[in-house]
Amino acid sequence: MIRLACALGLVAIVMAVILVLRTDGASAIGFSFIGAPALGLALVIYGVSRWRAGAFRSNATRTREAGS
Amino acid sequence: MNAAIGPLFAGPPGAHGIPWLHVLPILVAVPAAALLLWGLLRGRLAPTVGALAVLLPIAVYALCGLLVLEDSKNVSFCGSCHVMTPIVASIQADNGSLAAIHYGRGLVPHEQACYVCHSGYGIWGTVGAKMDGVMHMLRTVAGRYEFPIKLRGPFDIDSCLGCHAYAPSFRAVEAHQSPDIQKALIAREMSCTGACHPAAHPDAALTGGKGAS
Repeated sequence: MIRLACALGLVAIVMAVILVLRTDGASAIGFSFIGAPALGLALVIYGVSRWRAGAFRSNATRTREAGS
Repeated sequence: MNAAIGPLFAGPPGAHGIPWLHVLPILVAVPAAALLLWGLLRGRLAPTVGALAVLLPIAVYALCGLLVLEDSKNVSFCGSCHVMTPIVASIQADNGSLAAIHYGRGLVPHEQACYVCHSGYGIWGTVGAKMDGVMHMLRTVAGRYEFPIKLRGPFDIDSCLGCHAYAPSFRAVEAHQSPDIQKALIAREMSCTGACHPAAHPDAALTGGKGAS
């Protein structure tokens, strides 16, 4: 999951760098329709993987789960 | 423009400083890419590093968003898509069209000539232009456009009036003083071009440079 998120994030960064180096219609399309969705997906995947790892659980929940 | 004439004629004053809008995204993108590459190779990221790996790419996209908002005003940006290339070529030619007259005489900023006339007046004109720009990109990607290309809706003559309305030479024209013509122009029932002034762009340019159909 983390690898997929990082790969998608890298795709997004590559699109952004292409836009900076050559700002034209094609790079803006890549930035908007490939890079931005890739970044959004990467953030969702990373968030889900962190949630599954228990990052967003409160300490009380963790203690309760450890006790049961 | 002959560069030998001097730096004053090389471009607008803002073009001579450090292009921070281009530099900053790269400065942030480098560590972001390094963190993401690290995560890709290792398959895991420590929480603090993970937070940076989230925040830095978001910062890159925010900065690039500003960059594209600003640079998409440039004539070269508009002309980079095949549909618009003949139109940009036509405004740089001496063909008597309204756009070419304004461009050739320096009546609109050379770098942002398309944007100045087509964005409409005021902040909502800018918002409308950006929304139209997104639709232009979608149509380009989907190939959903037809020749000759047409303006969606009537031309916003507030773009013209923004410069002309207070000019004595404009006010002195008898036709501009006519109440009926003023009413029709304000109601967008007639436009500056067509009846009185030459067309904004030549027909050949609107058909993708293949001649009017």
